[in-house]
Amino acid sequence: MWNKNKSLFLSRILTAVAAGLFFLTLFFIPSIAQWYEDFSDTIGLLSSKSVVIPMCIGLYIVEAMAFICLWSLHVLLRNISRNKVFIPENTSCLRRISWTLMLAGAAFAGIGIWRSICLFPAVCVVMLGLVIRVLKNVFEEAVEIKSENDFTI
Amino acid sequence: MPIIVNLDVMMAKRKMSSQELAEKIEITNANLSILKTGKAKAVRFSTLEKICDVLECQPGDILEFRKSE
Repeated sequence: MWNKNKSLFLSRILTAVAAGLFFLTLFFIPSIAQWYEDFSDTIGLLSSKSVVIPMCIGLYIVEAMAFICLWSLHVLLRNISRNKVFIPENTSCLRRISWTLMLAGAAFAGIGIWRSICLFPAVCVVMLGLVIRVLKNVFEEAVEIKSENDFTI
Repeated sequence: MPIIVNLDVMMAKRKMSSQELAEKIEITNANLSILKTGKAKAVRFSTLEKICDVLECQPGDILEFRKSE
Protein backbone atom coordinates (compact mmCIF):
# COMPACT_ATOMS: atom_id res chain seq x y z
CA MET A 1 0.00 0.00 0.00
CA TRP A 2 1.29 3.43 -1.02
CA ASN A 3 1.68 5.81 1.91
CA LYS A 4 3.32 9.06 3.01
CA ASN A 5 6.55 7.37 4.17
CA LYS A 6 7.03 5.52 0.89
CA SER A 7 6.39 8.73 -1.03
CA LEU A 8 9.01 10.53 1.06
CA PHE A 9 11.46 7.67 0.55
CA LEU A 10 10.91 7.81 -3.22
CA SER A 11 11.53 11.59 -3.19
CA ARG A 12 14.76 11.10 -1.27
CA ILE A 13 15.91 8.36 -3.67
CA LEU A 14 15.10 10.55 -6.68
CA THR A 15 17.02 13.45 -5.12
CA ALA A 16 20.03 11.18 -4.57
CA VAL A 17 19.82 9.85 -8.13
CA ALA A 18 19.60 13.40 -9.50
CA ALA A 19 22.64 14.37 -7.42
CA GLY A 20 24.53 11.37 -8.84
CA LEU A 21 23.57 12.27 -12.41
CA PHE A 22 24.59 15.90 -11.94
CA PHE A 23 27.90 14.74 -10.47
CA LEU A 24 28.54 12.51 -13.50
CA THR A 25 27.60 15.32 -15.87
CA LEU A 26 30.23 17.49 -14.20
CA PHE A 27 32.98 15.50 -15.98
CA PHE A 28 31.39 15.76 -19.43
CA ILE A 29 30.55 19.46 -19.59
CA PRO A 30 33.30 20.32 -22.13
CA SER A 31 32.22 17.36 -24.31
CA ILE A 32 28.55 18.39 -24.05
CA ALA A 33 29.47 21.96 -25.01
CA GLN A 34 31.51 20.74 -27.99
CA TRP A 35 28.74 18.39 -29.09
CA TYR A 36 26.21 21.23 -28.83
CA GLU A 37 28.49 23.52 -30.86
CA ASP A 38 28.64 20.93 -33.64
CA PHE A 39 24.94 20.43 -34.16
CA SER A 40 23.16 23.58 -32.87
CA ASP A 41 21.56 26.16 -35.16
CA THR A 42 23.64 29.31 -35.22
CA ILE A 43 20.95 31.80 -34.30
CA GLY A 44 21.83 34.43 -31.73
CA LEU A 45 23.42 37.82 -31.17
CA LEU A 46 26.90 36.30 -31.25
CA SER A 47 25.98 33.25 -33.33
CA SER A 48 29.12 33.47 -35.46
CA LYS A 49 31.33 32.95 -32.39
CA SER A 50 32.08 29.59 -30.75
CA VAL A 51 29.66 28.66 -27.98
CA VAL A 52 31.96 26.14 -26.28
CA ILE A 53 33.55 28.37 -23.61
CA PRO A 54 30.41 30.36 -22.71
CA MET A 55 28.43 27.12 -22.58
CA CYS A 56 31.04 25.48 -20.32
CA ILE A 57 30.92 28.47 -17.95
CA GLY A 58 27.10 28.53 -18.06
CA LEU A 59 26.78 24.82 -17.44
CA TYR A 60 29.26 24.91 -14.54
CA ILE A 61 27.14 27.67 -12.97
CA VAL A 62 23.99 25.60 -13.56
CA GLU A 63 25.72 22.56 -11.98
CA ALA A 64 26.69 24.58 -8.91
CA MET A 65 23.13 25.85 -8.59
CA ALA A 66 21.80 22.32 -9.05
CA PHE A 67 23.95 21.02 -6.17
CA ILE A 68 22.78 23.82 -3.84
CA CYS A 69 19.20 23.14 -4.92
CA LEU A 70 19.54 19.37 -4.35
CA TRP A 71 21.13 19.90 -0.95
CA SER A 72 18.20 22.16 0.01
CA LEU A 73 15.78 19.50 -1.20
CA HIS A 74 17.62 16.93 0.91
CA VAL A 75 17.34 19.15 4.02
CA LEU A 76 13.67 19.80 3.25
CA LEU A 77 12.86 16.10 2.88
CA ARG A 78 14.85 15.23 6.03
CA ASN A 79 12.88 17.78 8.05
CA ILE A 80 9.57 16.57 6.62
CA SER A 81 10.44 12.98 7.55
CA ARG A 82 11.10 14.21 11.12
CA ASN A 83 7.64 15.81 11.15
CA LYS A 84 9.17 19.28 11.16
CA VAL A 85 7.28 20.85 8.29
CA PHE A 86 6.38 24.43 9.12
CA ILE A 87 9.71 25.60 10.49
CA PRO A 88 11.81 28.62 9.44
CA GLU A 89 14.61 26.32 8.18
CA ASN A 90 12.28 24.94 5.50
CA THR A 91 11.35 28.46 4.42
CA SER A 92 15.07 29.19 4.03
CA CYS A 93 15.43 26.04 1.90
CA LEU A 94 12.61 27.15 -0.39
CA ARG A 95 14.14 30.63 -0.64
CA ARG A 96 17.51 29.10 -1.55
CA ILE A 97 15.90 26.81 -4.17
CA SER A 98 14.09 29.79 -5.67
CA TRP A 99 17.28 31.85 -5.96
CA THR A 100 19.31 28.96 -7.39
CA LEU A 101 16.66 28.47 -10.09
CA MET A 102 16.68 32.18 -10.90
CA LEU A 103 20.49 32.14 -11.18
CA ALA A 104 20.42 28.97 -13.30
CA GLY A 105 17.89 30.75 -15.54
CA ALA A 106 20.24 33.71 -15.78
CA ALA A 107 23.08 31.36 -16.78
CA PHE A 108 20.92 29.88 -19.54
CA ALA A 109 19.96 33.38 -20.65
CA GLY A 110 23.68 34.17 -20.84
CA ILE A 111 24.24 31.21 -23.18
CA GLY A 112 21.23 32.53 -25.12
CA ILE A 113 23.42 35.40 -26.38
CA TRP A 114 25.35 32.83 -28.42
CA ARG A 115 22.49 30.45 -29.14
CA SER A 116 18.97 31.91 -28.90
CA ILE A 117 17.32 28.53 -28.26
CA CYS A 118 18.81 28.60 -24.73
CA LEU A 119 16.44 31.45 -23.88
CA PHE A 120 13.65 28.88 -23.80
CA PRO A 121 15.05 26.82 -20.84
CA ALA A 122 16.02 30.16 -19.24
CA VAL A 123 12.39 31.32 -19.23
CA CYS A 124 11.16 27.90 -18.00
CA VAL A 125 13.67 27.78 -15.11
CA VAL A 126 13.02 31.40 -14.08
CA MET A 127 9.26 30.71 -14.11
CA LEU A 128 9.82 27.65 -11.90
CA GLY A 129 11.92 29.80 -9.57
CA LEU A 130 9.09 32.32 -9.41
CA VAL A 131 6.57 29.60 -8.53
CA ILE A 132 8.86 28.31 -5.75
CA ARG A 133 9.24 31.90 -4.50
CA VAL A 134 5.48 32.28 -4.18
CA LEU A 135 5.34 28.90 -2.40
CA LYS A 136 8.04 30.22 -0.06
CA ASN A 137 5.84 33.22 0.74
CA VAL A 138 2.89 30.92 1.49
CA PHE A 139 5.15 28.74 3.66
CA GLU A 140 6.43 31.78 5.56
CA GLU A 141 2.85 32.72 6.40
CA ALA A 142 2.09 29.11 7.42
CA VAL A 143 5.10 29.10 9.78
CA GLU A 144 3.76 32.29 11.40
CA ILE A 145 0.26 30.81 11.79
CA LYS A 146 1.69 27.60 13.27
CA SER A 147 3.80 29.55 15.73
CA GLU A 148 0.73 31.55 16.80
CA ASN A 149 -1.24 28.33 17.17
CA ASP A 150 1.55 26.67 19.19
CA PHE A 151 1.70 29.63 21.55
CA THR A 152 -2.04 29.84 22.11
CA ILE A 153 -2.67 28.34 25.50
CA MET B 1 4.64 42.88 24.40
CA PRO B 2 2.45 45.42 26.25
CA ILE B 3 0.23 42.69 27.73
CA ILE B 4 1.79 41.43 30.97
CA VAL B 5 0.79 38.09 32.48
CA ASN B 6 0.77 38.30 36.27
CA LEU B 7 0.00 34.67 36.79
CA ASP B 8 2.91 33.99 39.12
CA VAL B 9 1.85 36.90 41.37
CA MET B 10 -1.65 35.45 41.68
CA MET B 11 -0.26 31.95 42.24
CA ALA B 12 1.94 33.28 45.04
CA LYS B 13 -1.06 35.01 46.63
CA ARG B 14 -3.02 31.75 46.55
CA LYS B 15 0.07 29.74 47.56
CA MET B 16 -0.35 27.42 44.63
CA SER B 17 2.45 25.60 42.82
CA SER B 18 2.81 25.45 39.02
CA GLN B 19 2.33 21.70 39.06
CA GLU B 20 -0.91 21.98 41.04
CA LEU B 21 -2.31 24.77 38.85
CA ALA B 22 -1.37 22.92 35.64
CA GLU B 23 -3.19 19.83 36.87
CA LYS B 24 -6.28 21.79 37.94
CA ILE B 25 -6.66 23.75 34.70
CA GLU B 26 -5.70 20.68 32.65
CA ILE B 27 -2.76 22.05 30.69
CA THR B 28 0.82 20.80 30.55
CA ASN B 29 3.58 22.27 32.69
CA ALA B 30 5.33 23.37 29.50
CA ASN B 31 2.28 25.36 28.38
CA LEU B 32 1.87 26.88 31.83
CA SER B 33 5.50 27.92 31.71
CA ILE B 34 4.92 29.58 28.28
CA LEU B 35 2.00 31.45 29.81
CA LYS B 36 3.92 32.51 32.92
CA THR B 37 6.98 33.71 31.03
CA GLY B 38 4.91 35.86 28.68
CA LYS B 39 5.88 33.87 25.59
CA ALA B 40 2.23 33.03 24.79
CA LYS B 41 0.74 34.80 21.79
CA ALA B 42 -2.91 34.21 22.81
CA VAL B 43 -4.97 32.78 25.67
CA ARG B 44 -8.18 30.83 25.04
CA PHE B 45 -11.26 32.03 26.95
CA SER B 46 -11.70 28.47 28.22
CA THR B 47 -8.16 28.50 29.72
CA LEU B 48 -8.70 31.94 31.22
CA GLU B 49 -12.00 30.79 32.69
CA LYS B 50 -10.34 27.79 34.34
CA ILE B 51 -7.48 29.90 35.71
CA CYS B 52 -9.91 32.46 37.17
CA ASP B 53 -12.03 29.67 38.62
CA VAL B 54 -9.11 27.86 40.27
CA LEU B 55 -7.33 31.03 41.50
CA GLU B 56 -10.63 32.72 42.44
CA CYS B 57 -9.78 35.94 40.66
CA GLN B 58 -10.77 38.15 37.73
CA PRO B 59 -9.08 38.16 34.26
CA GLY B 60 -7.80 41.65 35.11
CA ASP B 61 -5.86 40.21 38.05
CA ILE B 62 -3.91 38.01 35.65
CA LEU B 63 -3.60 40.17 32.57
CA GLU B 64 -2.33 43.72 32.58
CA PHE B 65 -1.85 46.26 29.80
CA ARG B 66 1.26 48.43 29.90
CA LYS B 67 1.95 50.97 27.18
CA SER B 68 5.27 50.21 25.49
CA GLU B 69 7.70 53.14 25.58
